[in-house]
Amino acid sequence: MVFSSVVFLFRFFPLFFLLYYLVPERMKNLVLFLGSLIFYAWGEPVYVVLMLFSTVVDYVHGRLLERLRGKRAARLVLLSSVIINLGLLCFFKYADFLIQSVNGVLGTSFPLFELGLPIGISFYTFQTMSYTIDVYRGQTKVQKNLLDFGVYVAMFPQLIAGPIVKYRDVEERLHNRRITLVDVSQGLQRFCVGLAKKVLLANNIGELWAFVSKMRFQEMSMLTAWLGIVAFSFQIYFDFSGYSDMAIGLGRMLGFVFPENFNYPYISASVTEFWRRWHISLGSWFREYVYFPLGGSRRGRPRQLLNILIVWMLTGIWHGAGWNFLLWGLWFAFALTLEKLFLGKLLSWLPKGIGIVYTLLVAVAGWVLFALETPAGILGYIRALTGMTGSVMDRQGIYLGRQYLVLFLIGVIASTPLSQRIAKYLKNSRTGFQMALYRFGEKFIPVAMLLLSVAGIVDASYNPFLYFRF
Amino acid sequence: MDEKRSALFTIIIIASVIVVFTAADLIQGDRLFSETENRVLASKPRFTLDALLWEDYTQKYETYLTDQFVSRDKWITIKTYMDLALQEKEINGVYLGSDGYLIERHLPSDYSGVQVNKKIALLEKLVRDWDATVMLVPTADNILTDKLPGYAPYFDEKRFLDQVAQHVGKHYVDVYSILQEHAQEEIYYRTDHHWTSLGAACGYSAWAEHTGHEAQDYGAENMELVAEDFLGTLHSKVNLNMAGDRIYYFPKTLEQPLKVTYDLAEETQTDTCYAPLHLDTKNKYGFFLDDNHALVEIETEYRNGEVLFVIKDSYANCFVPLLIPHYEKIYVLDPRHFRGRLYEFMENCKPRKGMDVLVLYNCIHFLEDFAYVE
Repeated sequence: MVFSSVVFLFRFFPLFFLLYYLVPERMKNLVLFLGSLIFYAWGEPVYVVLMLFSTVVDYVHGRLLERLRGKRAARLVLLSSVIINLGLLCFFKYADFLIQSVNGVLGTSFPLFELGLPIGISFYTFQTMSYTIDVYRGQTKVQKNLLDFGVYVAMFPQLIAGPIVKYRDVEERLHNRRITLVDVSQGLQRFCVGLAKKVLLANNIGELWAFVSKMRFQEMSMLTAWLGIVAFSFQIYFDFSGYSDMAIGLGRMLGFVFPENFNYPYISASVTEFWRRWHISLGSWFREYVYFPLGGSRRGRPRQLLNILIVWMLTGIWHGAGWNFLLWGLWFAFALTLEKLFLGKLLSWLPKGIGIVYTLLVAVAGWVLFALETPAGILGYIRALTGMTGSVMDRQGIYLGRQYLVLFLIGVIASTPLSQRIAKYLKNSRTGFQMALYRFGEKFIPVAMLLLSVAGIVDASYNPFLYFRF
Repeated sequence: MDEKRSALFTIIIIASVIVVFTAADLIQGDRLFSETENRVLASKPRFTLDALLWEDYTQKYETYLTDQFVSRDKWITIKTYMDLALQEKEINGVYLGSDGYLIERHLPSDYSGVQVNKKIALLEKLVRDWDATVMLVPTADNILTDKLPGYAPYFDEKRFLDQVAQHVGKHYVDVYSILQEHAQEEIYYRTDHHWTSLGAACGYSAWAEHTGHEAQDYGAENMELVAEDFLGTLHSKVNLNMAGDRIYYFPKTLEQPLKVTYDLAEETQTDTCYAPLHLDTKNKYGFFLDDNHALVEIETEYRNGEVLFVIKDSYANCFVPLLIPHYEKIYVLDPRHFRGRLYEFMENCKPRKGMDVLVLYNCIHFLEDFAYVE
């Protein structure tokens, strides 16, 4: 089930929360667990078994680690957990990719499995792995209640697309949470904002990219190419951060506090900063469970650069089974390495604006690798972006630019903390008018966003059938 | 305390939106058909375990919910006005032109040179086989250029037509220029992608001049109004509130008794090439030649022995009646609906002294749908 759908908003949501708030404290986890299973099974009626399997495996490993604490066998248990988790992930996500690559290189024709990727598997395997590793390290207590652990893994807000919540972030609240009116109201507001980002911004701007990416790149003007890739940059940001907002909001409504996942990445003044603001929960996961264990920056510069390379290759390939994603990871490894060596220092001396432009260029160039999956597509698009097609501006480009100007402006504003600052300013001001404005906006803007988003969701299925086309 | 009250208020507002629409949606019954979208809406899928596990039951159920969602049409209107507020100049592939014109979008990138060359080669063959006359009508985006949104791109049909003219030579009727001259008149519908009767009359005078027929007087003053609330295909795509188009026809075309047969069915034979029945439906353009048929035969009382065979798209529907005063018999064939071997069929229709053959399409339909196989 996705959040931006009629079935979620007008069936699952009211029914689930009604039940969740009505049942007594000790029943809430059961309701949340069963609700989450229904939520997941709606999209994956078969693979829900896989998620349950993964849950039980890590629960059992956790218990074993607790019993064997301090013994050598604990290492083996941890290893077994990591192998099972990564094994599942690799099998479902990368097996076909590897077979295809082998076939491509050796000219063999091993058959593919052609299994669909189970929704959210990249997210929940990372979550469960963080649990067993933390238990092994003694950084968190073992969870003895299978239901509570099941709630942690299956909890529907972040199950499908993050944020990647570490077990210790929610451990306390799994069995002891109080839900206040403020939690619920702020959760609802956050949800509406996220929904609007997804439906009103990402989907609408995404239409431009969908249009441009289907054009013939050989004849594309530079202007059109830039409009297209900037549209994609907006789309992926509002789509993903909107999803995180919805997840965090729903989490608040359930009584949980999830970590933030995005912090206005497009205003970063360096790539290093960009990755502290973009998909924060993934970055911190890799830092904690890969980069630091490899030694991080403590074993000298060359080793650090190697570690960066490893982490970013993994980060790239985590985003999808394709060479372009690996390339995308390497691209960032390259930029981060330069920044570690000298560019970071240089940027800190230069005006901030230059840093922002540089970072945006690196990010946007990255999205070319990310969005276009074939070498021919990537090269063709780069040619168009650099004006090598011989056309700088054409009717098509100017028309598209005018058509999307307003949405782009809204996109720019929504990518900066401006509206947050205005809200804060109004909230803290003393005059009655400004206070009233804040109160009014805070209540009615989310509702308006919700209503407009519903219009967007329903309209997406608008499909006039023109039998009398001719 | 104040914070709590404020929070409660927020919760009530947002929750009530969800609860109210959920309740309304549950109470409301299902519709079979959507007038606005002109299609059958999804109905409730049957639940079985097999359907759930292997047959996309959940997806079908979501389609059903969304199709049947309470006040669906109003939500769509809201979204449309939201797009307008964002200064969008097109919806669903339709340009929102000035003067209330909706103009269908045809992008240059949608029509490749290969496709163009292939269709022209086919056409050349047909022209050679039958000595046919070629009328390719430009679409509104090429003629009403001053009404397009700024910089709106369109497939250049002038260039394409020049290419056609080069290949078929003296068989080419220049419809483009005459429509261009009359661009300020009502030659295209505002809400539909067809040309109007007046547009067809322009095409007719180009045809008469080219073929050397004595032209009938099909001027605006000789037209009669049959409908004034026509909301056509383009309107269905944008779903905006707008005034209907007027449909006119030329009564002159009915002066002589006619025998009109659709799809070879003798029992449906009528005495007119118009079908007023369609004026009460959404598809009012169907008034001309009773919408789309594979084959229409029009027999007149002019015993001049002249026979015409028209290979056409729907642009011809309002055009063909104008030719009635010139022929004893007119065959109108739409290759999209015709199942059979076209060449042989034409051979069978041909009287001993031969017949005129006319190819009439708008440029876009020609590129998309023209077919000719021996």
